[in-house]
Amino acid sequence: MRRDWETLQLCDRFFDAIEQKDYDTLASCYAPEAVVWHSHDCRYQSREDNLAMLKQGMTTQQKVRFRKRRIRTFEGGFVQQHTIEVTWQNGFEGRMDVCFVGYTRDGRLTRAYEYFDTAQVDRFLGPR
Amino acid sequence: MTEGEIRELCEAFFDAYENRRVDVLDRLYADDCIVWHNVFGRETSRDENLERFHDSYRGQRRRTYDDRTVNTFHDGFVIQYSLNGVQTSGHRGSLWICIVGRCRDGRITRIDEYMDSSKFGAWAGTSEVTS
Repeated sequence: MRRDWETLQLCDRFFDAIEQKDYDTLASCYAPEAVVWHSHDCRYQSREDNLAMLKQGMTTQQKVRFRKRRIRTFEGGFVQQHTIEVTWQNGFEGRMDVCFVGYTRDGRLTRAYEYFDTAQVDRFLGPR
Repeated sequence: MTEGEIRELCEAFFDAYENRRVDVLDRLYADDCIVWHNVFGRETSRDENLERFHDSYRGQRRRTYDDRTVNTFHDGFVIQYSLNGVQTSGHRGSLWICIVGRCRDGRITRIDEYMDSSKFGAWAGTSEVTS
């Protein structure tokens, strides 16, 4: 049975947790076997490595917002299109258009695919 | 549209791209269809896309839309796939793409395309694969 509201809640909880730098809630959204694939290297990242990366982001990013969230749920997951806006510690405000496809089981994320254009990384990270 | 019909529409659309059936694409795009590309950050019309179709195949011998994972929802679909191409030089390249499509009355009304343009050189055989 499709439980779209549960999937929507999970999606919002996941991205809200990143915005609010709520690591414990973020980690609870992932199933133990979760993996995350990124379009820049086309590889699966383990749950631990991904959480470590996100945790580091919580310290290096002053502010993170997922704007223009457009969410659709389907059997076994969801797709969210958004623009991530980050204020870095040096004050630079970066942005990137992202498509995130999440697959779920028992209310948690088991696999995620993140698509973005790394050619626009300067617009996202700013001067380095 | 039922989700089964949306899935069939999605498959027909990518089959048409693969088989260079512009006549089919013309039928499957709604008149007011908008296509947005993340690499350009702007919207284009259905007519612009149809006009550019043959240009997009320039230098390519063959292109296939493989490993399609399609999921549907009440008004559209999301498809994840690998685009595999063989250039006239014999070079083979791949791109990994995600498209979110919106549908109405048997046709596609909007397409949002996400890909990584830093891989275009490797795709076309004009630079080494970086990852």
